[in-house]
Amino acid sequence: MEGPVLFYNGTEFEAMFHLPDPTSTKRAVLLVALLLMSGSAFAADPIEEKAKICTACHGETGVPQLKTTPVIWGQNEGYLFLQLRDLQSGARKNELMSPIAATLAKEDLLPLAGYFSKLKWPNLQQPEAPKDVAAKAQSAAASVGCPGCHLHHFQGDGSTARLAGQQREYLQKTMVDFRNRTRGNNPGMSDLMNATSSDDLTALAEYLAGLQIDQYLGSEHR
Amino acid sequence: MSSWKMTGALVGALALSFAGWTLAQAEPKGAPASAVTQEQLNAAAKDENNFLHTNGNYDQTRYFPGKQINTSNVGKLHPAWIFQTEVKESMETTPIVVNGVMYVTTSFDHVYALNAKTGEEYWHYKHAMGPVTTYCCGPNNRGVAVYDDKVYLATLDAKLVALDAKTGSVVWQTEIADPTLGYSETMAPTAVDGKILIGTNGGEYGIRGFVKAYDAKTGKLVWTFDTSPENSVGVWATTDATGKDLHRDIAAEKAQLTKTGDPYKTVGGGVWQNPSIDLATKRIYFVVGNPSPDLDGSVRPGDNLYTESLVSVDLDTGKYVCHFQYIPHDLWDLDDTSPTVLVNAKDKDGNVVPAVIHGGKTGHVYVNSRKDCSLIRFSEPMVSQEGMYTLPTAEGARMLPGANGGVEWSPMAVNPELGLTYAVNLHQPMTYQVQSSPYPGGKLWLGGAFKVIATEASFGNVTAVDYNTGKIKWQVKTPLPMMGGPLTTAGGLMFTGEGDGWFRAYDAATGKVLWSFFAGAGVNAPPASYAIDGKQYIVVGAGGNTQIDFKRGNNIIAFTTD
Repeated sequence: MEGPVLFYNGTEFEAMFHLPDPTSTKRAVLLVALLLMSGSAFAADPIEEKAKICTACHGETGVPQLKTTPVIWGQNEGYLFLQLRDLQSGARKNELMSPIAATLAKEDLLPLAGYFSKLKWPNLQQPEAPKDVAAKAQSAAASVGCPGCHLHHFQGDGSTARLAGQQREYLQKTMVDFRNRTRGNNPGMSDLMNATSSDDLTALAEYLAGLQIDQYLGSEHR
Repeated sequence: MSSWKMTGALVGALALSFAGWTLAQAEPKGAPASAVTQEQLNAAAKDENNFLHTNGNYDQTRYFPGKQINTSNVGKLHPAWIFQTEVKESMETTPIVVNGVMYVTTSFDHVYALNAKTGEEYWHYKHAMGPVTTYCCGPNNRGVAVYDDKVYLATLDAKLVALDAKTGSVVWQTEIADPTLGYSETMAPTAVDGKILIGTNGGEYGIRGFVKAYDAKTGKLVWTFDTSPENSVGVWATTDATGKDLHRDIAAEKAQLTKTGDPYKTVGGGVWQNPSIDLATKRIYFVVGNPSPDLDGSVRPGDNLYTESLVSVDLDTGKYVCHFQYIPHDLWDLDDTSPTVLVNAKDKDGNVVPAVIHGGKTGHVYVNSRKDCSLIRFSEPMVSQEGMYTLPTAEGARMLPGANGGVEWSPMAVNPELGLTYAVNLHQPMTYQVQSSPYPGGKLWLGGAFKVIATEASFGNVTAVDYNTGKIKWQVKTPLPMMGGPLTTAGGLMFTGEGDGWFRAYDAATGKVLWSFFAGAGVNAPPASYAIDGKQYIVVGAGGNTQIDFKRGNNIIAFTTD
């Protein structure tokens, strides 16, 4: 499992920071300074503890258990935060997530979103869409302006979801849920999905699922 | 010992204690930035060395007075240097140049200070973006304002940031509005009389728009002008500024008003671009964008003042002076986003009067009086208006212009010697589809969808309009819809770029293409000009565009003739 390394033994600590001579007073000063700088480095990260409940569905390695469950490792922080907020408020309803969101403290929502956003997006090994499907999807996306928010490589940003490499079945279901307004926390998305044909939605799901991008292609702005 | 000296001493002691443990830290390269005075900003229109405002000067003419590069030698124009930013994404920045130091911005709110002669980087600021950013049309930034010893930036997470011009370090930062409610910033601020003026995006998210003024030294809010008054109903106008029928169902709107009240708190009205500043009268002029939700008028009865209007307010107080609405109760997102330009133009009686002009998404250039905001004239349409104001339907109704215009956010340029204004336009047929939903609390709220018709041709044009008559002087068709904007110069030239990567110089009087350069990525940013050591440069960003998906890049290219 990737993520922040929280515990170090003494040898690892020394190897990391090239501590001076053990008899040196500078060593003591340095150790104290490093301990202070590391903050809670010697205590378990409470957010990581709280996030463990999520692995049951979203997976221990970032690969969800079900095809209709979204990847949340590496998802954009603002998007995750707003979804948790909306699940908690009831603006978005989901039989699995709504009860879980109800148990979360409001002050944990943003740290949880931040925690998952920093994990590496998994490669689901979904095939790249055939050219004709990709062309159909790109035309549909351009027609209603998807890249305006989800950006050129469909990696989203801030409050907008990353779509590239997301689970195909989840993408398909979500677009249909937006279409029939079952998913009610973004009426603008519902409008856009209603303006897009069913065939185009299927092509979009296949195309987006097959976009495996390991890093943001435009910049290292994060 | 003062507190900062104590801190410095403590840091020094810790550094000594840590001797032998090396932290890699880049040596900051300061910029040789000189303070910008109000007098310099006032005189920018005549400054042949600097480019001090996003649109050139307070009138926003984008007319550069230098003429070393002119119609006779522009053919020799070639790159002097190319600077590649870290961000390969939509680029809409106008480079600002102050005594040899250039400031450019990128998507996601990076700022670079460059040596304007060589392209060498002095410093690079990356905004620490908050988690919530809500924007409709790309992570753009259109540039900085400069004043005194600071550089000002507005950000996607709705912050206003003052940077030290020499180092790029943050002097102060303040939140303009709550980004979770749909507010964001892509425009460049305007610096004037010790104040920093800023509008807002958010017309697609149910905001209440505004222009705000902040103290340039401290970041303290000085005044706010809300672009929707508490009575936003207006006069129930049934036609637009040109007399075209808007097909409003006034009875239904009045019934809705009785039921739900005035929609001013969520009616939108973003201000996407810089105001013009009339230094003589201390008034500012700006245009206000579309109402929210864009296509569904049923939930926002009335004229939706002051959306889609020219507005003037007092520079010192932010108090209302006058307004003129172009499209009351708009249902097509045919709003006003291209910045206003102050000119002296003939009124209906032929008298030259202080006027304010701008290009609309309708494809008209509108000429208004600065005195009372009244309309003097509107130009011939620069684009097809086939079926304009056809009501949106559930299935989708086709019409032109599309929701990107006409003239989008792209600024115009004005050549006062020729009496011409230059506008870049889009021809993008769309269907307009209406759906109704309640206010979604800061989420996307279009009230339907505008959809590009993929089977129909899209293209663009560059148009020169005589603002004293409203007649089109010349027009050049372009293969792609146009977004970016022009610069015109005393050398008889007009420069503008295209989405396929071409950057061209036109004869300002005739529209003849005199020079072209292929930049490899969309040239969708407005150009600027400046001079160093007696040599004039033209500079432009080539980074493509998110909104209409033109090829991305990361280049700032400065050109000169040798």
